[in-house]
Amino acid sequence: MKSDRQNIKTWIGLLSLVVALLIPLIFGINHYLLTVLIIMLVFIIYSSAWNLLALSGQGSLGHAAFFGIGGYTSAIIARSLGLHPLVTILAGGLFAAFIGVLIGLTCVRLREWFLGMVTFGFAIIVHTITTELSWLTGGWDGIPVKKLIPVTIPNYILYEYYVMLLITVVAIVIIYLITKSRVGLALEAIRENELEAKLMGINIIKYKLLAFAISAFFTGIAGALEIHHFGYITPEVYGIDISFWPIIYSISGGLFTIGGPILGTVVITFVWEVLRSFGLVYEGVVLIGLVLILIVIFLPKGLVSLPEKIKARLRL
Amino acid sequence: MDTGVFLLILAWGLYAGCIYILLAIGLNLIFGVMKVVNFAHGELLMIAAYATFWVYTYSEINPYLIIPVVVLLMAFLGVLIERLCFRPILGTGKLNEIFLSLGLIYVFQNLAALLWSADSRSIHSPYSGISVSIGSITLPLDYVAIIVITFIILIVFHVFMKRTTVGRAMRAASQNREAASLMGINVERMDMLSFALGSTLAAVAGSLWMISGQMVNPYMGSIPAIKAFAVIIIGGLGSIPGAIVAGLTLGIAENIVPFLMQSFVAVFGVEMSFTAWKDTIAFFILIIVLVIRPTGIFGEKGE
Repeated sequence: MKSDRQNIKTWIGLLSLVVALLIPLIFGINHYLLTVLIIMLVFIIYSSAWNLLALSGQGSLGHAAFFGIGGYTSAIIARSLGLHPLVTILAGGLFAAFIGVLIGLTCVRLREWFLGMVTFGFAIIVHTITTELSWLTGGWDGIPVKKLIPVTIPNYILYEYYVMLLITVVAIVIIYLITKSRVGLALEAIRENELEAKLMGINIIKYKLLAFAISAFFTGIAGALEIHHFGYITPEVYGIDISFWPIIYSISGGLFTIGGPILGTVVITFVWEVLRSFGLVYEGVVLIGLVLILIVIFLPKGLVSLPEKIKARLRL
Repeated sequence: MDTGVFLLILAWGLYAGCIYILLAIGLNLIFGVMKVVNFAHGELLMIAAYATFWVYTYSEINPYLIIPVVVLLMAFLGVLIERLCFRPILGTGKLNEIFLSLGLIYVFQNLAALLWSADSRSIHSPYSGISVSIGSITLPLDYVAIIVITFIILIVFHVFMKRTTVGRAMRAASQNREAASLMGINVERMDMLSFALGSTLAAVAGSLWMISGQMVNPYMGSIPAIKAFAVIIIGGLGSIPGAIVAGLTLGIAENIVPFLMQSFVAVFGVEMSFTAWKDTIAFFILIIVLVIRPTGIFGEKGE
């Protein structure tokens, strides 16, 4: 029974990958569509990374700090050393992970919403540091960044899409393997009951810091990918809503699952783009807020649990 | 150092601290009774500020007389939020409360932007030109009024919590929910009341914010609210005196630290402004406090 379900999930995953590979062939090289999909892929990595930290019971409200640190690190290294963005993205992720461990050190002993506050505060502090170091970061105006694929190459957006897709798949597979490993089990045990986990011999601080490092690493990668797509970076990457989007995506899709953040990002991006095409910007965000509230109240396991819920209803 | 400037900054900090205190006490009350954190508390401040703006713009009556109207409105909104949003998820986990508040923040901010546009607005209180001299410093009359009103509200609130039956019932519910309910206290009504009172205090803060000539826009609520959280963590969950002390300290520190830093580097001949760091001071204090004591300064019994 269980392996059946596992099989279905694997098939759904492979099927969505095939669809993702085929999209440019079906719709042609549509600049708008591919741009939306690229940003969606960035946020799939970002949400999955946030979700990995949430898996350990640590709900961060300031992940934009890592997103921005990854972006700025990669941008500055690419500019000053002239390295290719594909190399500097890794550096962005690693530096974000380093800062993640430092921030994690202050967070490991904190309760849920204390941790939320502290991470939120760190995002604001990092934002201020960045704008104040204007000789390095360009201050409020930001700095131009090398594009991932040079615009001069014909159909560059197509190549960019496939590179992003490849990186996303690799990131998701790594995150999946981590959650299925001993580390993932330890993190879940800590979330369920810290004291019991400790009694089972799990080194809580070590695993919580590890979760912070891994989550910050992938968030930094996502941030770097986004700015190398846009071609510029400003302190707006530290915006409060940049911290909140992965939370919205993960919850609406399904917390603590691999498919949740992916499904949530895809569905909400789709809804958002449709609403936006009708000119409904503020209405769209109000709607997304309402959906979030309704999901927390009525569907706490997110959209991934919808099929089971419907099945249970029909049986009754 | 110039004593006059120093005292002036101190008075400014006192004024800023009043807003934090009003928000923090409301949050503390809700947390005490329901053990729930409403991160969307700042959005109540924002809506109250808008309500004050619109009533004043259309009626032009004395802005201080508008406060009771705004208070009633916001108390009603607070009850709605409690009934529709927080009651259904009570006891399902702390993360859910945080996520639900995020949803509320999105709804309120963008509803406000939709209805009233994202522009910043402000009003001119009829007293905005008048200043009063206290000792060696001169302050706008509205600032003095705000400090006085906040302290009157704090005293009334204190008497209400300590001397009236309802106040005692609320304290009982926050000390031990089950025991209070066994003693015949309707704890669900206390939940509702705590939200109504918390929103009331946020409403007063929002109105006073507007009257003192500050700007309002749909996104202005998050930062004061998050600082109010810092205040209750620093001051201790559920501790009203703690919130007052921490709120005043934060208000003053925010205004005085950049000034002190500037004077300090000036000694070495460096000219540098630290005003950009103002919003980070609350979090520096918060992080330092939590690193030393993960439960907050007075937070022994909390949670």
